[in-house]
Amino acid sequence: MARGGVVALKGLDLVVPRGQTFGLLGPNGAGKTTLVKLLLGIAFPTRGTASVLGRPIGDVPTRRLVGYLPENHRYPAHLTGEQVLHHFGRLSGLRRPERGRRVDALLKRVRMDEWRSVRVHKYSKGMMQRLGMAQAILNEPDLLILDEPTDGVDPIGRREIRDLLLEQKARGATIFLNSHLLSEVERLCDRVAILNEGALLREGSVADLTRPQAAWQIEVRSAAPEAIEAACRRVPGAALVEGRVQVQGDAAALNALIDALRAQQVEILAVTPRRDSLEDVFVRVLHEGEAA
Amino acid sequence: MRVLAILIDTGRELLYRKTILVYFGVVTLVLLSFALLLRTDVVDGAIASMSVAGLEASSSRGAFRLGEGGQETGLAGLSAQDFVRYVQLGAAFTLYPLAILMSIFATASLVPRMLEKGAIDLLLSKPIGRPALFASRYLGALLVATANLLYLTCGLGAILALKTGVWNGGFIWSGLVMSLYFACLLAFVVLAGVLLRSTTVSVMLTAVVFFTSLMVRLPHANQDWPLLISGRIARFVTVGIVETLFHALPRTYDFVQAAVSLIRHEGGLQWGAVFGSALSGAGALGLAIIYFSRRDY
Repeated sequence: MARGGVVALKGLDLVVPRGQTFGLLGPNGAGKTTLVKLLLGIAFPTRGTASVLGRPIGDVPTRRLVGYLPENHRYPAHLTGEQVLHHFGRLSGLRRPERGRRVDALLKRVRMDEWRSVRVHKYSKGMMQRLGMAQAILNEPDLLILDEPTDGVDPIGRREIRDLLLEQKARGATIFLNSHLLSEVERLCDRVAILNEGALLREGSVADLTRPQAAWQIEVRSAAPEAIEAACRRVPGAALVEGRVQVQGDAAALNALIDALRAQQVEILAVTPRRDSLEDVFVRVLHEGEAA
Repeated sequence: MRVLAILIDTGRELLYRKTILVYFGVVTLVLLSFALLLRTDVVDGAIASMSVAGLEASSSRGAFRLGEGGQETGLAGLSAQDFVRYVQLGAAFTLYPLAILMSIFATASLVPRMLEKGAIDLLLSKPIGRPALFASRYLGALLVATANLLYLTCGLGAILALKTGVWNGGFIWSGLVMSLYFACLLAFVVLAGVLLRSTTVSVMLTAVVFFTSLMVRLPHANQDWPLLISGRIARFVTVGIVETLFHALPRTYDFVQAAVSLIRHEGGLQWGAVFGSALSGAGALGLAIIYFSRRDY
């Protein structure tokens, strides 16, 4: 996919299994939104193929089964919250009695019932996101595509959106999530892919990517740094990092370090296997990609 | 149902912009004025007496006068049919341009606003094809403008029919002809909107289309004007440009003539001009739909 001399996506080969929650990560300009637009037929690929729910991209009837929340979505300012949902419900092919029932239920679910008759241009960012979520799940989609759904939302709002997504996941919907908030992605997603400059750098389950390494972290009660450093010098792979003692290696290395620390009278509070957060993985993969 | 959704939304948006409401208010004021202030007494198809807001009217050498002297001069045998046609011609010359102008201002923003980032993404993600989406937007604007024109023609026609007993169906047809003219202009408005995504530029380009269509009619109607250009190539090129523009743009002058003819029941409608304009409008709309359907958003 290239536009105006800029290649937005190149050699991307990705499969999202049905029923999974999939996170797409990448820095700004990585091609995440372009990928979503291609899947929904909002933009056209210059080369390559893709399918959504088993149908080629651009297939109009398939979109009946898709819910979408774009980044910085903008609803018609002349509509009230309730009218917005009815409008997009009509566009999704929902008929009146069913549509009315779902609109009422969703407005209550996203705590927008009191604002249903207020025009959307008076809504705050958080309210717009909640309404956006309601709009995206109004047709009970098989595939839910969300581009930065928690962007600009306060922590309580983020939790509400997360709960809504978990409900959709429990219903069996496939969720495709673009987000900068890696902690959200880590909590919600089964699998993630990391994209940079239009290329896929890494893809796998969240559990695999953040799997504990052969490394340990020891929390100690405040002790003289000289004592800790003396202990670390006795064990290869041990180091003091940001007030915590870390050691690379197996159980023998860990025990050697514990012995060395105790010999220096350092009091040990906790020993934990070191596990990378998704953020650690993301930063490392991007750096590796840049180095390569 | 999806087309209906776009039609409803387009109607709501136009009402929200208030421009259409201003026109609606002006027409309502005109209709109320005729309904409440005009009194006529028709005898044997002629206006025996007439008053406007209590002032007696008279007619002398084709001109109406209100107030003093009305009783003495009388209405000089003015027929009810002529009176109705005069009033409707007056309304056509003042309110039709207002209707077209207001409708252009109101609808020029429809396409650029639809194409705004965050709005177009949502619409294109719904199960409605791009040609249907765009055409529905166009149709919604056209329906609102036509409803406004019909409100004027049907309302004024009915009030005058009640006051004089004369029903002029040609006035309704003239409103529909102007609606067709608006449809042609609107096609250029939406074409400019989809190409440039700017409301202001769309309005400006529509004004250019309007004035150019009037200007090129003069040389087109005058067979001898190319003789004023001495060079053969320059003459060939200029004639080519004028004739291309004349046939490619809606023919404003011919539509005005058609509306007048319909109101006065004089002469036949120039169907060639109407169909030619309809064809140019359809061409502009087709281009807009093709461009919209192929573009990345």
